[in-house]
Amino acid sequence: MTKRNTPVRGTRAVLGSVAALALCAGAAQAEMVFTPGEGDFNWDSLDAFAAGHDLSGQSLSIFGPWRGDDQALVETVLAYFEQATGADVSYASSETYEQQIVIDTEAGSPPNIAILPQPGLIADLVKKGYVTPLGEETADWLRENYAAGESWVSLGSFEGKDGKQLYAFPYKIDVKSLVFYVPENFEDAGYEVPETMEDLKALTEQIAAEGETPWCIGLGSGGATGWPATDWVEDMMLRVQPPEVYDQWVTNEVKFDDPKVIEAIEEFGWFAKNDAFVNGGAGAVATTDFRESPAGLFASPPQCYMHHQASFIPTFFPEGTEMGVDADFFYMPAYAEKDLGQPVLGAGTLAFITKDSEASRAFIEFLQTPIAHEIWMAQSGFLTPYKEANAELYGSPPLKKMGEILLDATTFRFDASDLMPGAVGAGSFWTGMVDYVGGKSAEDVANAIQKSWDANK
Amino acid sequence: MEGMAGQKSTLTWAVHISVALLVALWLFPTVGLLVSSFRTAEQISNSGWWSAFSAQKGQLPAIRISGEEHEDGGLYVIDGNLFGSAETTLSAWGTSSREPEAYEPDTEVELKDGWTISVAKSGDFRLTAPQSFEGERLPRVFATATTPPEFTLQNYKNVLFGTTAGAGVGQAFLNTLTVAIPATVIPILVAAFAAYALAWMEFPGRALLIAAVVALLVVPLQLALIPLLQLHNAIGIGKGYLGVWLAHTGFGLPLAIYLLRNYMVGLPKDIIENARVDGASDFQIFTKIVLPLSFPALASFAIFQFLWTWNDLLVALVFLGTDDDRLVLTARLVNLMGSRGGQWEILATSAFVSIVVPLIVFFAMQKYLVRGLLAGSVK
Amino acid sequence: MHPALQAVLTIVIGLGGCIGYFWFSNQLLDKVLFPPRGPNIGRNIRRAEMIRPWLFLFPAIFALGLYLAYPVVATFWLSLTDRNQGGAFVGLANYQQMLREAKFWEAIRNNMLWLIVVPAASTGFGLLAAQLTDRIRWGNLAKSLIFMPMAISFVGASVIWKLVYDFRPIGQEQIGILNAFWVWLGGAPQTWLTITPWNNFLLMMVLIWIQTGFAMVILGAALRGIPEETVEAAIVDGANPFQIFFKIKVPQIRSTIVVVWTTITLVVLKVFDIVLAMTNGQWQTQVLANYMYDKLFRAFDWGVGSAAAMVIMLLVSPILVWNVINARREMR
Repeated sequence: MTKRNTPVRGTRAVLGSVAALALCAGAAQAEMVFTPGEGDFNWDSLDAFAAGHDLSGQSLSIFGPWRGDDQALVETVLAYFEQATGADVSYASSETYEQQIVIDTEAGSPPNIAILPQPGLIADLVKKGYVTPLGEETADWLRENYAAGESWVSLGSFEGKDGKQLYAFPYKIDVKSLVFYVPENFEDAGYEVPETMEDLKALTEQIAAEGETPWCIGLGSGGATGWPATDWVEDMMLRVQPPEVYDQWVTNEVKFDDPKVIEAIEEFGWFAKNDAFVNGGAGAVATTDFRESPAGLFASPPQCYMHHQASFIPTFFPEGTEMGVDADFFYMPAYAEKDLGQPVLGAGTLAFITKDSEASRAFIEFLQTPIAHEIWMAQSGFLTPYKEANAELYGSPPLKKMGEILLDATTFRFDASDLMPGAVGAGSFWTGMVDYVGGKSAEDVANAIQKSWDANK
Repeated sequence: MEGMAGQKSTLTWAVHISVALLVALWLFPTVGLLVSSFRTAEQISNSGWWSAFSAQKGQLPAIRISGEEHEDGGLYVIDGNLFGSAETTLSAWGTSSREPEAYEPDTEVELKDGWTISVAKSGDFRLTAPQSFEGERLPRVFATATTPPEFTLQNYKNVLFGTTAGAGVGQAFLNTLTVAIPATVIPILVAAFAAYALAWMEFPGRALLIAAVVALLVVPLQLALIPLLQLHNAIGIGKGYLGVWLAHTGFGLPLAIYLLRNYMVGLPKDIIENARVDGASDFQIFTKIVLPLSFPALASFAIFQFLWTWNDLLVALVFLGTDDDRLVLTARLVNLMGSRGGQWEILATSAFVSIVVPLIVFFAMQKYLVRGLLAGSVK
Repeated sequence: MHPALQAVLTIVIGLGGCIGYFWFSNQLLDKVLFPPRGPNIGRNIRRAEMIRPWLFLFPAIFALGLYLAYPVVATFWLSLTDRNQGGAFVGLANYQQMLREAKFWEAIRNNMLWLIVVPAASTGFGLLAAQLTDRIRWGNLAKSLIFMPMAISFVGASVIWKLVYDFRPIGQEQIGILNAFWVWLGGAPQTWLTITPWNNFLLMMVLIWIQTGFAMVILGAALRGIPEETVEAAIVDGANPFQIFFKIKVPQIRSTIVVVWTTITLVVLKVFDIVLAMTNGQWQTQVLANYMYDKLFRAFDWGVGSAAAMVIMLLVSPILVWNVINARREMR
């Protein structure tokens, strides 16, 4: 008999952060988590915003990617918006949120505000005319108030009906160039945290030579299997080529099968395709679930010593793991000899208006108040480039340390696979990486990915 | 004849054993999930579910010493027990990840700065130091121990009463019922009338209509989502229960009509002819004779339709929307899994939470199901 | 209002509307428009009889047309247009692009495999289970347990089987039962879902597991409908149990087997959840329905996605034609 149901969409994991863990234990309430007026928050900004906006009786629907604990967190922020304006805010999400937002906008029943982590998808919606531009004022505001403002403006700008302009407002970002490790395991074995890529490779070889396994790498993610490898390749790309090449790669001015790209893929292969370097051997990389992969760090005896992943991964560490004590991270270092500075790969979510209203506009303005950032950063899993937000408020030392990595970055680049067309960035790039660790050559894989890109032009 | 009887009993035994094997094969995966739903995430990822019932000997993940310090004979002391359960017994331990089985129970070991530590078989430990532990990072202990089987209800507590989902599960349960009951009954009603017309009424185009129904059995659902939501928005239904009911009705109808017509055609012709002669109208024949006689077929289709409206996620998400107060159970459980996809323990638990009602329905109505399907397809 | 009360009210309104339509429309026909009395009684009855079938059929035709037929037409149109060019007509360009993709051919090949293996295995296991459970006292319990997977959603089933196929590197304790068993036999742990072409069969197993109960229930009922005399006659003739089963029983329920087979075939063509959740078509496991889903909602290439949907429709058409012919033969 037929059953019709549930597409599982292994959601592209780009969100969240270190101390989400701390929150798992303590319940989040949707009511005011911090009493207005107390602490080092910019409460004035909330008062000023409240004075300028009265939206009583209006409603605002927001559709975002956050579910579970993250949903509880975003709702704490929305509570302040509700209180300040009197508007009735409803937040919704879905496991298949990318598909859902397409269906809703196509069918003419969009939410007021949509928040998505995929600029590629937003570009698609803009092209179809479903998104309202934010205006030059907002773009100026970003330039002025976000660190490296210009790069954020260009991230949120898309080609629409009236040319290229700002459509989406970056809110909440995520650092990806991190290597997680257990400090005491390093101490027990006498390893040092590497400062350069040369050191990292030497350490990898040393660990393997001692009969231990240096890395845990897992690409499994249901329908999205393969994506963790794209982060690896992007990180390596920024470490072997200048950022300009990275930008050209994203727009396909540099073809996917260009030797420069193949070099980056092979840099990843140096780690992942060596049986002695990865837990379970190269054959296990593609099927090990990315959520279970880091468990090897905490096994006894350790199954691996290092794990490359974005800032959200501690959520999947064993229960009770305390960041900074039981586990820690270091910046995925750059080659000393290449002199490309300290590139940082990241990701983030962008808010945009899919149904214009006074409340929608007010919400975008709300995101320009420091308090909208501080409420979340004082809890967990939130990084912001907003200079006015009080960095002292970061909810935990690891979060603050990530903030510092972000500040120290000489180059910040957004996750390339999220910027590429969906068929590549959420399709052939993923599957290509699975084929690559499965034994195909970097050239073959790159060729196939380029072909799928050509087919979608 | 005796030989034949002997043969018969071996055959019976063979049948019993084969059925037992078949059932075991079919049940195994589900049992695995059921057992897993009573284990912690760590247990699930560290050992197979079948070993959950026996004591396990193995290396535990590092345990960090914790506790209140007190002074004892000039030394600062922290003591306590490593394990949560009294039945765990230690066989070896260590303080370095490189040598996790370095020491026997009860050995006293010296650490840096004059610290000493000893661990007993029971897991009782004693950590001493000449200075206060204040501000120091306490050592880890690697234990090799035998742990008794342990089960937890925590997963179910999280799913049913947790902070992110808890408040909503009751509401979601009602929402699912609100979707599923009319979405089961409406198509049956509509299909029953149509099936009767197709089976017992004479009119031009009947054969064509039957062919069309059969053809529509195969339309993939995904195709219909966008055009239909567009339509709902255009005619003002928007997102709501009415839209979901209509959608489920549309998608369920071909099978309903197909099954019910097959069943009704097989009803005894005389009864209907006699009623006609007696002057009963078609409406009366249908409601008074055909409908009651078709009960098994109606029930069997009802079970199938109920099962899939209950398990459906896609249609509900698209046509009902994602507002908090309208989320159905499947959507609620999916949201619980967090932004980054599933964890075994929550997946396992939510699968069993959502399966309970369909199972009750299935077991309660099983006998109609068989009768309905039998008549619907056996010729 | 209390949510439970609201739910009940909503249900009552929904059902009431539906029942009301049938009752009132028939009342209108019989009492007001063409009452079967008065001078024109004969004509009125005839007219009422001409209209009534359509009253009965109207809601069904309406819903079918709107919810199934219209999307098919819309999809056919989409498959001939390109959204990126503002919905311009592009002829068969989408089909040509699709035919050039290796993944499409892989999906076709796998789909053929699925179409052969899943209905055959489900029907086979179902027949076996039906025959065996019929003869023992605890048969009903066994039937219920085998049927249980029908009540689990496809996604739930995928989760269950992922746990079965789970892989842990050598030296660690396996948590997937297949690998545990394999290691116990002395093998090295395998990443089952990446081993082509066997991984296809592992995915099919999930659907077989779900569908066997359905086949068993229906075939069991059919087996019980076989006249005792034919079986007894065979026993008298000295046939052994296997001969009775294959030579006497199976031929008699052939039409039921065909119905079960085709119904499962239809499910196979539409299923994509299992593949999406377990491998997403990687390691050479793509199937058409998942290919379509991928094109529609990941690549946003609706032209090719719709073209793939039309291919699924095309694959189904033999069954469709066969069903139609059957339906017509019955009516004579």
